[in-house]
Amino acid sequence: MDAALRARLETRFGELLTGPVRQRHDETEMRIGPGSVPEVLRTLHDEPGLRFTLLADLCGVDTGTDLQVVYHLWSETTNDWLRVVADGLPREAPRVPSATFLWKGAEWLEREAWDMFGIVFEGNRDLRRILMPDDYDSFPLRKDFHLPDDASRSPGGGVRPMERANPPADATADTVRRRSPAG
Amino acid sequence: MALSPDGGVPGAGVPASGEAVPGSGEAAPAPGEGAAATDARPDDATQAIVVPNTLWTPADPGAYGGTPLDEAPELFMRRVEAEGIGRRDDARWGALDVVPTTADLVLDLIRANSLWPLLSGLACCAIEMMSTATSRNDIDRWGHFPFRASPRQADVLIVAGTLTTKMTGPLVRLWEEMPEPKWCVAMGDCTCSGGRYKRSYATVQGIDRVLPVDVYVPGCPPRPEGLLYAMMKLQQLIKDRRGHWRERSIGPTVPAGV
Amino acid sequence: MTSPTRPSLDDPALAIPVDRAGVFEPIPMARTERQQEFYSLRDGEMLINLGPQHPSTHGVLRIVLKISGEQVVDLDPVIGYLHRGVEKLCENADYHQAICYTDPLEYLASLFCEWSPVMAFEKLLDVQVPRRAEYIRVLAGELNRVASHTLYVGFFALDLGGITPVLWSYLERDEIVEILAALTGAKLLFNYFRIGGVNGDLNHEFMSRLGDWMSHASRQVEAGTALLNENEILVRRARGIGTLDRDTAMRMAVTGPNLRASGVPWDIRRAHPYSVYPELEFDVPTRSEGDCLARYLLRVDEIKQSLRIIDQCLHQMPDGPIMAKLPRLVRPRPGRAWAAIEGPRGLYGTYAISDGTDQPFRMRIHDPSFVHLQLLSLLVPGNLIADTMAINASLDPVMGGVDR
Repeated sequence: MDAALRARLETRFGELLTGPVRQRHDETEMRIGPGSVPEVLRTLHDEPGLRFTLLADLCGVDTGTDLQVVYHLWSETTNDWLRVVADGLPREAPRVPSATFLWKGAEWLEREAWDMFGIVFEGNRDLRRILMPDDYDSFPLRKDFHLPDDASRSPGGGVRPMERANPPADATADTVRRRSPAG
Repeated sequence: MALSPDGGVPGAGVPASGEAVPGSGEAAPAPGEGAAATDARPDDATQAIVVPNTLWTPADPGAYGGTPLDEAPELFMRRVEAEGIGRRDDARWGALDVVPTTADLVLDLIRANSLWPLLSGLACCAIEMMSTATSRNDIDRWGHFPFRASPRQADVLIVAGTLTTKMTGPLVRLWEEMPEPKWCVAMGDCTCSGGRYKRSYATVQGIDRVLPVDVYVPGCPPRPEGLLYAMMKLQQLIKDRRGHWRERSIGPTVPAGV
Repeated sequence: MTSPTRPSLDDPALAIPVDRAGVFEPIPMARTERQQEFYSLRDGEMLINLGPQHPSTHGVLRIVLKISGEQVVDLDPVIGYLHRGVEKLCENADYHQAICYTDPLEYLASLFCEWSPVMAFEKLLDVQVPRRAEYIRVLAGELNRVASHTLYVGFFALDLGGITPVLWSYLERDEIVEILAALTGAKLLFNYFRIGGVNGDLNHEFMSRLGDWMSHASRQVEAGTALLNENEILVRRARGIGTLDRDTAMRMAVTGPNLRASGVPWDIRRAHPYSVYPELEFDVPTRSEGDCLARYLLRVDEIKQSLRIIDQCLHQMPDGPIMAKLPRLVRPRPGRAWAAIEGPRGLYGTYAISDGTDQPFRMRIHDPSFVHLQLLSLLVPGNLIADTMAINASLDPVMGGVDR
């Protein structure tokens, strides 16, 4: 829990942050809008007081209402991991600038986020399916994609006779399972 | 296979509707046949329920032990068990009726003791399969060490690891490229039934949905001793001419005269 | 998305479009810039497909090579042949059940695959793991690291054509996993770590087997690698091939031994310590050449360091409980946690989001091999086809983790 890091981030990125910088255990989390991703990542990478040169992870998150892209970074200037959350991507057309200009290794991580969530990374030269077959239609990790045995919640479920005979009373096919985002 | 209504085979009249009526009235069945067939009804549990084959007769009268099926249908199944008719490779070697059974036995032994698996390790079970192949649990003791890279040279496909929907195409292609005789071993829980990925959207819940499996090896992953037991069981299947291969090799798909 | 409440198999939305059934696209439609660049062939170039079934891929990896003669001009790895949907399955399971799904990801380093999510869940729950459990985790983890690196040595030589070292490696590895089986009950997918501790305490069989093995372990490592280190074929096929320099490695988000072989002495156990690693004395081997041989020699050095750590764990093992008290069904308060550990292949991280229910809301697993496979299209072009296998083997990918 590095209070100095929090102060540095808040002074440096003041207006770009969409929420307070939160800290828990050994992680510091900052939230930004999707448009400011290149600027923020570039600053985090280059500025001498920050020097977050190691990209540890890049992933997508479906909060139920919106999509997010989450970056985890490491710097030798601090003991904390830094989490950058690009929040508020709309479900119909989620678009985020790509981080491949900074870390070429983010290419496949972004491809995976596209494959699993449908998040379009503008500037990624190779945005195609990576884990699912090329002609796959859905985005598996979205909250409205249900596993086949979730008969009540999946349009393709209910294949077995028992599932068709006994659906839950409030089941509709487009129910998203969890409505409240996790924070 | 030609239908030979007049090939001197009694009782081979083919009803147009294709239903197998025992002792159909048009042809004159053998004296014992009709009576025995009508007597063999479910009331008598000791009698085999035999529906005489009126649909299809082999073109080669030497096949299936050289005995026309229709002569004594109620006794045929017993004769099959007793004489081991089904164990002879008749449908393939119809012309070589004189080949003695000993050669078949030797061929079976050759096949069983020299099964070359295909290197088709998909996931974690592949590590245990390689452990079976290496010094501590040496599968070379049974002659199965050469894991061939090419399916054209392999006898048995040991599917070791989870089969995903994306991998199904290549794997079935590998299976089809393997020449007969070939066998398939499902190693690990994922290949037997889907295992811990039974609920997953991207896996095939058991490879028997896409391939004909001869031996299933449960375990996650199965111990090398388990895979060795499975290979020994497969050897027994081969020697007994059981398993899927028998249906595939003997039957209507084999061209006449081969 | 509108669908009938009672789904029916006659629903036209579920039908497979007939015109696409059975269509095999040998060269996929080039949809992206990179694909257009890759699938446009100049005079004399040819596309060759390597995999997904191939004796030298570490699992089901498909590599499309663009070659000009024997030289590789470009390279496109295709993965996903082992994608089992683990992250989705974990969202539909309890926290304890989710740990069981993570074992077969990097199946050679199964304990590390459990360690990272377990640490993330412990952060969510604010659980303090007893010291004895931490020491046992480190002990078992380092044993698993030795087993994984031993297999790496064997597979590296196998992919370059040598059959003997893999037989020796498997002998060594089988002994190590029998030791771990005495402790955990399993040989490959251990299912040993729990949220708050480990499953079972050290027992007599484990200690005696471990003692026997430790007495000759380092000599065995020396003997096993002596055959290879001076072997002219291996050295000529690995030295200078697939050189990865520092800046490229940082740009490609490379971690672990691949990064340390390129000159960056970054090891999470020292850079961002976790568990009881601050109390243990070990070096972080680093090499600066960055070629295949450096990556191989580095992992051999790491085996020796792991033996040091195991020795210290045995001597410093504290007494106490092996598991913190936790309810059967855990419900952490809503929040997010990230935990990263140093696995045998690099940074293995878990990002867990909790929404207050008994199932994780999101469990993201970051696998190092996934990121490292991107290096193939950087390092291989310019080399011969046979060097593809050398470079692939030296990066040590495990497809279970790549595809998840």
